[in-house]
Amino acid sequence: MSVTDPSKTDLGFSDPDPQRGGPLGRLPSIVLPIASVLIAFAVGGLLIWLQGVNPFYAYWVMFSTALGTPEGLLRVMEKSTPLILTGLAVTVGLRAGLFNIGAQGQLLAGAIGAAWAGYAFTMPLAFHIPFAMAFGMLCGAAWASIAGVLRAYRSVSEVITTIMLNSIAIALVDYLASKPFKEPDQPISRTPEIAETAALPNFGAIPTGFVLAILVALFFGWFLMRTTSGFRFNTVGLNSNAARYAGISVKRTIILAMAVSGALAGLGGAIETLGVTGRFEPAFNAGLGFDGITIALLARANPIAAIPAAILVGTLRSGAAALQFETGIEPEVVDVILALTLLFVAAPIVGRFLFRKRNIKTTRVTSGWGS
Amino acid sequence: MHRKLLVATIAAGALLLAGCSSSTDETATETATETVAEETAVEEEVVAEDAAAAVTADDSNCAAPENYCIGLVTDTGKVDDKSFNQAAWEGTLLAAEKLGAFTKYVETTDPKDYANNISQFATKNYDTIVTVGFLMAEATTAAAAEFPNVNFIGVDQFQGAPIPNVAGLVFAEDKAGYAAGYLAGLMTKTNKIGTALGTDTVPPVKLFGEGFKKGALDANPEAEVTLVYHEPNNAFNDPEWGAAESRKQLDQGADIIFAAGGNTGNGGLIEIAKDPGAGTTVFCIGVDIDQYFTVPQAQKCLLTSAEKKLVAGTEELVLLSADGALPSGNFFGQTGIAPFHDTEAAVPADVQAKLAEILEGLQAGTIDTGCPACLDN
Amino acid sequence: MNARWAYILGGFIIAGIIVSYAMDANRTESVLSFSLRYAVPLILAAMVGIICERSGVINIGIEGQMLMSAFAGFFGAALTGNLIAGAMIGVGTGMIMGAFLAVGSVTWKMDQIIAGTIINILATGLTSFFYAQGYVLPGVMPTVAVPLLKDIPLLGPVLFNNGLYTYAAILIAVILWVLLFKTIWGLRTRSVGEKPSASDTSGINVPRTRFINVTLAGGIAGLAGAYLAIEAAGTFERGFTAGRGFTALAIMIFGAWNPLGAMFAAIFFGLTQGVASQLQSDAVFEIPPQFVNMLPYVLTIVLLAAVSGRVSPPAAVGKPYEKD
Repeated sequence: MSVTDPSKTDLGFSDPDPQRGGPLGRLPSIVLPIASVLIAFAVGGLLIWLQGVNPFYAYWVMFSTALGTPEGLLRVMEKSTPLILTGLAVTVGLRAGLFNIGAQGQLLAGAIGAAWAGYAFTMPLAFHIPFAMAFGMLCGAAWASIAGVLRAYRSVSEVITTIMLNSIAIALVDYLASKPFKEPDQPISRTPEIAETAALPNFGAIPTGFVLAILVALFFGWFLMRTTSGFRFNTVGLNSNAARYAGISVKRTIILAMAVSGALAGLGGAIETLGVTGRFEPAFNAGLGFDGITIALLARANPIAAIPAAILVGTLRSGAAALQFETGIEPEVVDVILALTLLFVAAPIVGRFLFRKRNIKTTRVTSGWGS
Repeated sequence: MHRKLLVATIAAGALLLAGCSSSTDETATETATETVAEETAVEEEVVAEDAAAAVTADDSNCAAPENYCIGLVTDTGKVDDKSFNQAAWEGTLLAAEKLGAFTKYVETTDPKDYANNISQFATKNYDTIVTVGFLMAEATTAAAAEFPNVNFIGVDQFQGAPIPNVAGLVFAEDKAGYAAGYLAGLMTKTNKIGTALGTDTVPPVKLFGEGFKKGALDANPEAEVTLVYHEPNNAFNDPEWGAAESRKQLDQGADIIFAAGGNTGNGGLIEIAKDPGAGTTVFCIGVDIDQYFTVPQAQKCLLTSAEKKLVAGTEELVLLSADGALPSGNFFGQTGIAPFHDTEAAVPADVQAKLAEILEGLQAGTIDTGCPACLDN
Repeated sequence: MNARWAYILGGFIIAGIIVSYAMDANRTESVLSFSLRYAVPLILAAMVGIICERSGVINIGIEGQMLMSAFAGFFGAALTGNLIAGAMIGVGTGMIMGAFLAVGSVTWKMDQIIAGTIINILATGLTSFFYAQGYVLPGVMPTVAVPLLKDIPLLGPVLFNNGLYTYAAILIAVILWVLLFKTIWGLRTRSVGEKPSASDTSGINVPRTRFINVTLAGGIAGLAGAYLAIEAAGTFERGFTAGRGFTALAIMIFGAWNPLGAMFAAIFFGLTQGVASQLQSDAVFEIPPQFVNMLPYVLTIVLLAAVSGRVSPPAAVGKPYEKD
């Protein structure tokens, strides 16, 4: 068991057994996701081709509009920011052996929390932004902690509680935005606009939130791979019994991991509110948390790899509108591509084909409902 | 079968053409459709001025005065939603046909893309851009300031201070609701009238509902009118709820039900049409457009639809815009009720006469529908 | 659920129903009919979850399986012009989706949550991408009243005057209960879900049992999808399953992985919806509708927190079986 060396822990899903080495021994952790993405694109291309559009042209349109212009780049960065953070949220959970399906609910909690902190207070800029952001993170962390505490003390699966908490959050923020927090004298269910002092500025052509998200991802890369606390997360995730023998408090680690995970998703929501939308409006944050799951799995629970994975998803989502504008292909094709990518990353088929090995090991990330 | 399929096929064909002739510079461009247009837009100075006559074949050169281009951005929904997105698109298509204009749409999947989707059209020098839904009002206003040479038509977008290049297509939904309710009040035998509505957090829905109730009570003070709204989450895409709720109200003795709220309401209409008394003792009333055509399953029970003439209104505004006569500020579209179609025989002549009178009164503004004050309760 | 609490809660509800029936028979009957009707897809979907989890496989892809089958069932019925054919196409599609989960989780030993997530995303994307307008069902499924039974006051009109899907849902729940707890198949299935290594030793083919059960369960998800499209809504719309597959997971847990328990839990949640809309239409008082919709989820979390340890999922659920 490689528990003793946190830098070698890898939650890969269909790698060849690393013990066996072989010519591709070190490569697969990068090769597999890339190959999976390419195959998913090929299948997506087939769908596009069946609709009578040249897939190469379609993909060219998507990527050139998303990445080829300054406005396009800005949008990709804006779209990737919450995705990096929800991807990280799921990643941190996975590292500690928790599958946090609830990033969506935590993001909503963070988004509405930051909106409230942003409009209901007046304070100088130097305090307001950090305050609103911290409050959003707190909301996300609190929301996730319900699942963390239940898991730690009542052995209730975090998968089921986070699914439930997602649905509750969706209904709850809808209520808050339509009643107590509603902007008065206008018909739409939404909060008032945040104060100017709470609005996140852009760093020239780069949104501050994007920079922040990348810094956070780098920090967690270091934290999980190189620090004792990160080591605790990994150990609990890999083998909670071993962790217990090593004197690690499993319960505390679980609650902490869940709270950190929720804080990350909450930060994603807070940045959305403070940097992009300027207020909370229920429809504005749909789906971001669920994309986080795809990203974490695509990045194989590696915090740094979550950055390119999130940018890929952000680019696809951003390019989808241009795709329809230029070719008439419906934007939902992106969902199909993402589902297939996830399939190829998680299923051993691609790995088997690439590495010609029968004994591919698939590692579980979750531990079932109850235990 | 599929509109998009057809468009896509043509586009692909054009792409092949362009591929074959890519060695020459600008020969194939005249036959090119939208797909190729983008690729060759730079080199394309010789757009078919004489050949294409009045019809604008693509959006490669919308800036040229003889070319007219109309774009449409949907709210988060699809252009085939049997509701306001579809109606606005149909109106746009009708206008485009009359103008010989080029038109296409983009469907919004994320509300944060409103601005970008609008500017996709504006930066390609589209002449008129239709934006659908009141959630897009702010994005439309912002785009109008950024692109002063483009005309914007905001469907369901109420305009505060008029902006020169924006016309808001708005409707007095309460009047349509009132007329439909009045009819229901005259027609009910059980004196019980039901509703299955989208969410009251969306003003047009609430206007329809409250107007309906007022109309029904004015026609028949004895009647009992129940207003039931779906919860806001997923309010317009829960046909099973609409069906179950309508069934429940039928079971409780309601004989006319106003099912209004996108797919949720459509589920109700379909359910009511299944009732053995449909078209004789039990009736349903649709909303927005004449649902006789959009929900053919409900034809049997469909008494009428509380209509806001989205198609006609959009068409008219696009034509005005092309004429250089865009009416800035609010443009009130027609409201009314759709023809009876199959249920005509069930509506007595005196009811029809009274209804005509009410419609006139509504038109003239002599009837109080209780709205928009009704929005506050 | 903990049996004593279930009986107490059930007693209160039944007493409430009887009092309400005495006050207004028609209203009570119609609200109960609403509840049952609302519960049908939830009952079926919860059965899917129960079969899978009793066999040791988590299925969070029920939502996607339902959506895909509703799509196939609706367009199948519209294109063949036959409602029964549509239902069968729906069930078949459900089984294919079930087999997809089986291949992923049993054959490939993929993470089961990921396999389910893939089903959900794929179903959303594909059904939306290939959706086409302008198709209409060829007819209406008949309502079948059971002679004699339909004349029982209260129960008759509610339980014995329904469409075939409703009877099927109740029958499936009852049959599944019998199968699970009274037959060899049930014993095997439960042992595979609780202690696969022991079942293996006693000669049960663990992967095969799981594979077959997960695939068959997909067929029931198919029936739920067919019900939604062909009977309940009479149409297919994008994403119109509206989270019912996830609610079903809550119901499965609420029913303690017991088919009959889940059936009553589903009807109970249907009842909360029916009562809420009735309160709204009678303008008695209005609970914010969002809170009504949260209720099943909140109750599930409270329940899990309260009775953890006494109600627990099959022990081996979520774990691919590896021979030592």
